[in-house]
Amino acid sequence: MTMTLASLSEQTGIAVLDHLEQSLAIPVIDGLQAQGDLLVIPLRVVAESVRVPGGAPWRDVPPEGVELLRAEAGGNPHTLVADPGTCRWTRRTGDPLAIGVFEATAVTYLVHPEHGASGCAPGAYVVRRQREHDRDRWGGTRFVCD
Amino acid sequence: MTGAAQRDAADIREEWLGRALSTAPADRPAAEAAISHLYRLIGLDPPRFHWVASPLAALETVPPGLRPRNTEKIDRLDEWPVARLLAADAERLRCDLDGAIAKRFAGLDRLFRRPIRDSLTASGDGTLKRAVQGTGGIGFRSRNRWYGLMCVSWLAYYDAVRRAAGDITGPEAGRRLGLWNAAAGAAGWWWPRRDVCTVSERPVALRTEVWGDDGQVRLHSAAGPAIRYADGWDVHAWHGTPVPSWVIDDPGVDRIAREENVEVRRCAIERIGWPAYIEEAGLRLVASAPDPGNPGAELRLYDVHRGTRALLAVNGSVERDGTRRRYGLTVPASIDDPVAAAGWTYGLSGDQYALLARRT
Repeated sequence: MTMTLASLSEQTGIAVLDHLEQSLAIPVIDGLQAQGDLLVIPLRVVAESVRVPGGAPWRDVPPEGVELLRAEAGGNPHTLVADPGTCRWTRRTGDPLAIGVFEATAVTYLVHPEHGASGCAPGAYVVRRQREHDRDRWGGTRFVCD
Repeated sequence: MTGAAQRDAADIREEWLGRALSTAPADRPAAEAAISHLYRLIGLDPPRFHWVASPLAALETVPPGLRPRNTEKIDRLDEWPVARLLAADAERLRCDLDGAIAKRFAGLDRLFRRPIRDSLTASGDGTLKRAVQGTGGIGFRSRNRWYGLMCVSWLAYYDAVRRAAGDITGPEAGRRLGLWNAAAGAAGWWWPRRDVCTVSERPVALRTEVWGDDGQVRLHSAAGPAIRYADGWDVHAWHGTPVPSWVIDDPGVDRIAREENVEVRRCAIERIGWPAYIEEAGLRLVASAPDPGNPGAELRLYDVHRGTRALLAVNGSVERDGTRRRYGLTVPASIDDPVAAAGWTYGLSGDQYALLARRT
């Protein structure tokens, strides 16, 4: 079934800004996709630096979705949504920039009120946060919040 | 945690946050009555009261009538006899309550500790405490016992448990807790000397923003001070960082160039916005390249100062007016290629980032 931003918004109850294109099909992609300060990366691309430990707690993505990252300053969250039983995720990744890893057997969507939606083809993905350089801070970086 | 319990915890937290961040004038009779009772609780006669308009006034002025050789110096607050006795009494109260909670209501502790107590402690640290620290407030140590008591987080936590479980330790503990509640709900911070208690009014203006998942707030105002008291003392703050007033009111490239504090400089640049700053400061363009996954958009890399470059990028999604917002990110100066710089912000190589299929 072709999913548009309007139908996804209706299905999930996540309101998106009305000036975003609502009626075009959301592209479903099996590659890298950026949504504001988040990046969805196929696990195979970064398989060398991301190792989900054997005992990591996996959870099924619930019907209301998972808020991967709530933006600062009362901003908007990035929410991962999937049909029941088709996607599981964990925050235990052993990767300092990663928020989590998800594995899906069907198309999943990452939704954000201002950025719209990104469709991810079935597969395994790492979701990373964006950072910037800050030489005065421990580790020399800080996370970006859009 | 169930959704309903989460909402309850959030409601109670917001109620107490409202109390902690109140800008209402103090209820002086109520504050004096509660503090007088607390003095009696430790076997002392009520003090005289000295009201001041701000914490800064309390820190920098000596109450009238105080003997010059008085040993209760403001930078030794934790050694003041009254502060020690009151803190010890509060400590016993907290031990009693924590013991009762651990024995009978451990589930409530799990429910309320993080979203209420920890959250409000962080909010207290990020607002009033931060403002006083920003002045180099005299002898103000961050883990000062007395200022910990002035934060409402412990009172809010016990209030939440009491609302869920009813009376947890009997009327005596309830009365003592009630006095601390009354003092916290009636005025700003207070400083208890043996003969005189200095009490501060609340701020007259306070602007904050939420930053944490548990509703933690910090000082932030893009117009005027983030906190202001009736005596004119104020603190400007940008997303939680106290800054000189020029950063908010009159940021300019010359002042930024003269500023030695990197954190202040960063706040000032963010206040202007990277695109405008790059233009006004005439930063040197190192290189530019098409933005992978973002058709028509360009990544531009600039020299900022030693050790840092700035990557100017374009949002993948449109604003309401149809434009795409540009934003700047700092990257290490060792990176020469804009695509590699964009990759670095996500921990990827330039080649990996070049695979980006779509940006929204």
